[in-house]
Amino acid sequence: MKQNKIKQGVITGLTFGLIFIFLILTGFTQVGSDMIGNLLGNFEKAGAENALPVINLILFTGLIGLLMGLSTSKANLSNTWLASLLNSILAGLIAGLLVGAVILVTGSFHSQGVDFRNYLPKLGSEQMNYLLHYTTPLAAGTTYLITSTVASLIGGAIGKAFRQQSWTAHSMTWTKNTVKNIGKKLKLGQSPQRKIITILGLIVAGGLLYLLPLVWGSYWNYTMGTVAIYILLGIGLNIIVGFSGQLVLGYVAFFATGAYTFALLTAPQPHAILMNVWLAVGISVIVSTLTGLLLGLPILNLRGDYLAIVTLGFGEIVRILIRSDLLTFLTNGPKGVTNVVQPSWLGKVFSDVNYTHFLFLLVLIALFIAKRLKDSRTGRSWIAIREDQTVAQATGINTFKSKLLALALGAALAGLAGALFASRNQFTGPEDFTLMVSVNVLCIVIVGGMGSLPGIVVGAMVLKGLPEILRELDDYRLLVFGALLIAMMIIRPQGLWPAKKVSLELQRKDSLGDNIQEVEP
Amino acid sequence: MKPPAIQTKNVTKRFGGLTAVDAVNLVVPESSISSIIGPNGAGKTTLFNCVSGFYTPEEGEILFFGEPIQGLPTHRICKMGIARTYQNIRLFKEMTAVENILVGQHCSMTNNWADAIFHDRRFRREEENALNTACELLDFIGLSGLGDSLALNLPYGAQRRLEIARALASHPSLLLLDEPTAGMNPQETEEMKALIKNLRDQLKITILLIEHDMRVVMDISDKITVLDYGVKIAEGIPSEIQNNDKVIEAYLGPGTAKMTEKLKQKNNNYA
Repeated sequence: MKQNKIKQGVITGLTFGLIFIFLILTGFTQVGSDMIGNLLGNFEKAGAENALPVINLILFTGLIGLLMGLSTSKANLSNTWLASLLNSILAGLIAGLLVGAVILVTGSFHSQGVDFRNYLPKLGSEQMNYLLHYTTPLAAGTTYLITSTVASLIGGAIGKAFRQQSWTAHSMTWTKNTVKNIGKKLKLGQSPQRKIITILGLIVAGGLLYLLPLVWGSYWNYTMGTVAIYILLGIGLNIIVGFSGQLVLGYVAFFATGAYTFALLTAPQPHAILMNVWLAVGISVIVSTLTGLLLGLPILNLRGDYLAIVTLGFGEIVRILIRSDLLTFLTNGPKGVTNVVQPSWLGKVFSDVNYTHFLFLLVLIALFIAKRLKDSRTGRSWIAIREDQTVAQATGINTFKSKLLALALGAALAGLAGALFASRNQFTGPEDFTLMVSVNVLCIVIVGGMGSLPGIVVGAMVLKGLPEILRELDDYRLLVFGALLIAMMIIRPQGLWPAKKVSLELQRKDSLGDNIQEVEP
Repeated sequence: MKPPAIQTKNVTKRFGGLTAVDAVNLVVPESSISSIIGPNGAGKTTLFNCVSGFYTPEEGEILFFGEPIQGLPTHRICKMGIARTYQNIRLFKEMTAVENILVGQHCSMTNNWADAIFHDRRFRREEENALNTACELLDFIGLSGLGDSLALNLPYGAQRRLEIARALASHPSLLLLDEPTAGMNPQETEEMKALIKNLRDQLKITILLIEHDMRVVMDISDKITVLDYGVKIAEGIPSEIQNNDKVIEAYLGPGTAKMTEKLKQKNNNYA
């Protein structure tokens, strides 16, 4: 019993400790504390003689500790004050010890002159000094420990107080009723709370997506841009593999088609067509779609392994054709196409912030479209084909047409991603389109959860974002992939964020039933 | 006169050297419940597969209300109004019960991918109607309240009934049931019998079924066809089939017809 009571504190402490270490290693502590500095109006770049950045960093540590304390109090609703606070202190101590230990070890190595930049690009000398608060490793480690524990205790106390007081329950009911009344006035239907919460959530998420690229600097913009492009690819492949269940391994072919179409239409070399950027994006998408259709016509009657092998070959054929002597006059061969045009709006070339915003917008649109397709006759026919193609056809679905549509839509998204990829890098070459791209995208779909849209976002963050952040460990990426996939298959075979089923019957009852009373707490 | 729901003329299906269905002539009158019976491997399911378009017969003709359908792809046959269930249940396992029925309505819906993206008025009305129909069908087969559970999580009997509901969703005029009561307990069997009768009486659907449970066959069939080694050996109303020597020998072995006759007389004498 005693053990159960402190278990929550230990787990929360470990989780938050690891999260914080991850933030340190990726350099996000800097971004976070700069944001706090911005909010407090004392923004200064980190410098040896300036105490303010250090205070910001400590505040950032405290903020995370506060969150940790709040989350321990949430888990222990029935506990007494003493047990709850004990849990918070425990969590704070554990997280603080973890972080403190990491700081102590890295700090000691650092003071002996080891340069961590060789392994982690974000842990340069200046950054290390900053993390050490410009003091000794021991002092810095102790500061982290104390800050974390105190903040966690405060967080726990606040959380506990909020949950204990009856006025909080009253105010919750009041808020709920108000929201409900507003919902009724706006005619949002039967469950207005959920809709309003969704809308608020969307506004917050939109705000973050807009604000973050402004503050987190070009490095993060580049990384998240890559992630966004891979999310687009993931959504496309998810339509083909996740929804309709056709194992296509040569997805990179459509990506390459899009990138090369865009590059050849806009670059000064080798054709000097210099087409308008947006027109070229459209044409790239159309050409990729056509490629998908042309490939699909002969091969979509194949099933399972055979389809996988044929498409695998197709992906490689496209890359080899691009770099072959035969097509050098068209594609510029192994040299690739340089000076690909960057997108512009009203004569102004996109900055990296604009570009990130633009990519985020496209990702949102693509997610929206994929979501709507999934919950429709078309989407259901895809999933039925995935489950049992023979029966799906006997249920009246024209399986060939349906699969072809999935392939065409997937190829269109890959074409779009390709065009954006070429224009962002201002370069495209045959070596950008190796088999590994197909494998990466497939991994994103599988790791995220087959057929799940949020899963793709998570999968792309994990598989594309992490290696990009730990760039110097690039050589070990395949190793990590392998280990991750094996671990996934054992621990979570359904993916990190598996697809959820919509409760259609319940939904209908909700929309029909004015007579169904909602139970008030 | 209106042509029968299904008429097969000399339908023959071979697998290599094996003739699974050999020149079978079968007539299924409209609004009847007809059964095909026979020992294991008699070619019942093969004949079913020919009718529903899974196989193309090498010879012969299959007429559905007078129209030839042999060799058509299965989705076209489904659209014409033939729906079926399977001997080993083949639901879309990772979809919910409601979604399974919605897939069944595929033919009767028209919205395409562009409508789905833009959610126009027509799309919304059609999807709403489809959901209503699905819930009505759930109610009809007695599964309301279970609509949001995944098909693979449903109990066995419910899966069988859900398969029928999915078939019904395409508004068929002919329903092929492949061993609808296989593996069911006596109570579930009784419910299934009532359901099948309801389909014919309430929804005016012609039913052709394969069944091994003779009590079911004899109770609900208007007409029974017996296959053995791919050949039709008998046809008629239940009482005729029960006393047919060929049928008895097909099931129990050669010479058994006489023995059963004697046994019956003995029983009569005792009585």
